[in-house]
Amino acid sequence: MLVMGEVHTGLLQNSGEISESTCRQVLGLMAGETVRVSRRPIVHALSPERLTGVDCALPTASRSRVRGVGTVVSRCAVTGGRVAQGSSYVRVVRSDADRRLPWSHYLARPGVVEVLGKAKAADLAEGFTGDSAPGRPDGACLDLGAVSGRFLDLVQQSTLLDRRAPFKIPRTSLRWVAETGEPSIRFTLHAEQERTLRLTHPGPFTTAVVDLCEDLATHDWLLTSLLVIVERARIGGTPGAQAVARLAPAIDHLMHLWMPAARVEEWLTPFWESLERRPGFTRQWRSLVDRVRDQVAMNTLALLNATADAGRR
Amino acid sequence: MTPVHATFGEVAAERRIASVPLSHVSVELGHLYMEDYEAGPDRLREQFRRVAPWLATVRSLWQERVPGGRARVSTCFLVDDYFSRFSTPAELVPMVLEAAAEHDLSIDYLARESACAQFEDAQSGGVELARLVEDRLVDDPPPETDGSRPPVKETGWLCNGSRSPRTAPMQAMGKTRPWEPPAQNAKRGHSIFVDVELWDEKGPRRTWSCPFLAAVWQLLRLGLLRSDGQVPLPPVALDGGWPRDWDGLPAVVRLNPQAAPFSAYTTLSVLSPRFLPVELAVRTILSQVAVDDEVLRQVATRSESEGVRLEEELVDRISYVFV
Repeated sequence: MLVMGEVHTGLLQNSGEISESTCRQVLGLMAGETVRVSRRPIVHALSPERLTGVDCALPTASRSRVRGVGTVVSRCAVTGGRVAQGSSYVRVVRSDADRRLPWSHYLARPGVVEVLGKAKAADLAEGFTGDSAPGRPDGACLDLGAVSGRFLDLVQQSTLLDRRAPFKIPRTSLRWVAETGEPSIRFTLHAEQERTLRLTHPGPFTTAVVDLCEDLATHDWLLTSLLVIVERARIGGTPGAQAVARLAPAIDHLMHLWMPAARVEEWLTPFWESLERRPGFTRQWRSLVDRVRDQVAMNTLALLNATADAGRR
Repeated sequence: MTPVHATFGEVAAERRIASVPLSHVSVELGHLYMEDYEAGPDRLREQFRRVAPWLATVRSLWQERVPGGRARVSTCFLVDDYFSRFSTPAELVPMVLEAAAEHDLSIDYLARESACAQFEDAQSGGVELARLVEDRLVDDPPPETDGSRPPVKETGWLCNGSRSPRTAPMQAMGKTRPWEPPAQNAKRGHSIFVDVELWDEKGPRRTWSCPFLAAVWQLLRLGLLRSDGQVPLPPVALDGGWPRDWDGLPAVVRLNPQAAPFSAYTTLSVLSPRFLPVELAVRTILSQVAVDDEVLRQVATRSESEGVRLEEELVDRISYVFV
């Protein structure tokens, strides 16, 4: 029917970026399973996948009760030794049975949640990514955000991290729904740190779609964080040197991490490209980076001038 | 110039899962505990006498099922060297083989139970199969489990439903909460609630329970375990004689050079009915083990290619004869 997922992204709770070998240890969530690491064009480490069992109502826009049983797939990632993610998703399919089956049935289909009874894909998609946060006043409803949050916590609470992050920045959450059909993509910024993504892709679902969503979440978080840092610097409202000092964390920790679509399979790159046309993530990123660099350049010039003036006196 | 299509790969970024040779069925001819050993060779002979007709039956059933009648059947025997150490391989193994031969049974593979917990040797390094399986447990969720909280766990225990709420009297209120029953998640009308102890710890030492090691043993025989993508504890032929110490013995020894592969699509264990509760516990554990997706696919593809339809759920690939 459809695939739904949620990615939580945050700054790794460590003073500096962590090495590849530390990444491997932090993300080693399962005995006998290796952490996958790619080094080009940016170091990206991905934990083994773990499952969480669920049996609960699924979010619906119509508020009709739809019961789903199965497993959620979750994984953690660290990009550039600096950005941490907890990511979970489920493939929602119709069940052949109208009752809950023995648990071994669901474990034979890892990452699938089977819907008991009637449900419409559009109702579920709207319920999960609609304006009101998923959740029903009358009972428990699938909470992928909590699962992803816990996986992100698992990374952040690693004893290998010094927990002295260079600046405070909120986590962002990206809820996504992917379906098969005419290609389209819709990215929506909601209140605060919430984002949603609706994606229709040709052909069947593969984990490459999850990679794409995680990549978008990483870059949206980078952009959001850089905006926050630039805003906090109060350029124009504070003396130049002070503003530049406040911009320093961006230069030290964020500005080199922008690598859009680096890990996205070729058949999915048109989705990134269309988001680059509108709203233009990279356009906004470049303009912010230019602004930061201009501030640094201006400040350097001012310092040079001041030194020269002092020399002349 | 025409566009150049570039491909770039990184070994560390890929997942490589080795495949394992597979028989059609792996038959466990027996499981030797210290009490059986102490009862003398007659107990063993009696066990093999009971097993022999069932092995013949399962062999002919698979011969009918497989195109061309070329059924691959391997036999194995497990010795408990984990819960108690008794005798030596040099003394015990020839005795077992002899008792089996009296009933025309040939044991293809001999395994050590302690290897299901952990095993270390120069060749394969160290592998802790029990830990590996523990990390693959996915708890059977009671209804209304929505992921908002971590699964409710009693450390070291695994059940198939919801436990009874605690019934300790609430003294402040002066009332006693009435008893409420536990419930099986996938009950049919009424519950059969099972709660299995997986391990206990005395100080730093963890002792895995017999059902947990038996679950690991079933997974090993089904060829569904991997450690860093490699097949753990592949059978080894023994050079020279039987060692005088269990630690000198490989985890799984290949006794018969012509034997069909150790791991198989399905398993059959011929057991005394006194093992029934243990096997119920084993099935409770196995129905909550999430085998790697890629490994499941490998086995399914292989069996389909030779016209064998396998049960989807791994607990359905395991069968027993209780005699």
